[in-house]
Amino acid sequence: MPKATFDVLSERLTRRLAGYSSRRGFIARLGMALAAAPLFPLLPVARASAAESPKTDFERNAQVKDETKCNYWKYCGSDGVLCSCCGGGSHTCPPGAEPSPISWIGTCVNPEDKRSYVIAYRDCCGKPACTAGKSCWCDGTDRDLPTYRSSLNNDIIWCFGNASATYHCSTAALVGLAG
Amino acid sequence: MVRARCVDVFTQRPWAALAAVAVSMVLAADLKSEPLEPFRPAQGDYLLNCGGCHGFHGVSNANLVPSLKDLVGYYLRSPEGRAYLPRLPNVAFSTLSDQRLAAVLNYVVFEIGGNSAPVGGKPYDAAEVGRWRKQPLNEVVLSQYRLQLVENLISRHQAPAELRVYTGSFN
Repeated sequence: MPKATFDVLSERLTRRLAGYSSRRGFIARLGMALAAAPLFPLLPVARASAAESPKTDFERNAQVKDETKCNYWKYCGSDGVLCSCCGGGSHTCPPGAEPSPISWIGTCVNPEDKRSYVIAYRDCCGKPACTAGKSCWCDGTDRDLPTYRSSLNNDIIWCFGNASATYHCSTAALVGLAG
Repeated sequence: MVRARCVDVFTQRPWAALAAVAVSMVLAADLKSEPLEPFRPAQGDYLLNCGGCHGFHGVSNANLVPSLKDLVGYYLRSPEGRAYLPRLPNVAFSTLSDQRLAAVLNYVVFEIGGNSAPVGGKPYDAAEVGRWRKQPLNEVVLSQYRLQLVENLISRHQAPAELRVYTGSFN
């Protein structure tokens, strides 16, 4: 009785499979897959899809690379000229200016991990206003309240505790991870 | 037979595959651990509503804003002092609910206040805070009211003279 074509084909296929694969090779590949699997949830793509979608316009456009730009993530409530454009940093005063002892505190979302961080908006004082270009003058309004709620307002010059109440520039210091 | 070398290593030495799994799991666990712990709710509310002026840990320039660290608990040693904290204008007018405000006050008094709080002192609850915040101290001369309270705490309740420090003036 001639073998059915189907039988011939399947025999050839199984023989080929047996000839070209090894059981130990399979175990090794499984091991590698297991080894690699825990790393995948850490990739930004996985974390981004798990997080909540942005809530404010600022959050949608925020970036984490350039702290001399208004859309740097920590500046979501900053109103004024950035100290990072004036010889200081995002949380340090330029030489000759002193940080205000009081500040207002809000939160900003870091676009990399999508988590909310507590940020202290501290002005640098005691020197005339910094003369950086227009692109360094920002008005982030996340969590800012009207002036009649002055303790959470960003229009106020927070230099009134300093020896000189002259405003120089604005910083945004990271305090920690919001609950 | 030409095969990927890395696979060959694992087929000849199965323990190497197991070791790779173990190492990667340790590595992944390490990467996953957060460098920062999130603030507890009361601590977060304190920072967002009080910490800008009173300091992240209750330490401030006491001439401008009263320092809280190891001091604020003394207010709980007199009934007027206990009522004073939730009656302070920015406490009473807070946007927080009575419940959350009570939690912030307890955090401030018992944690930031440290040993200044009376041993076994009763924590604030929402009902008590709700009652007091309806009677805010906005019709007294606050600096004088505070000073009277503080003098009483110093002379009768063993509060330190340090509690007096506060000029309430920004100039």
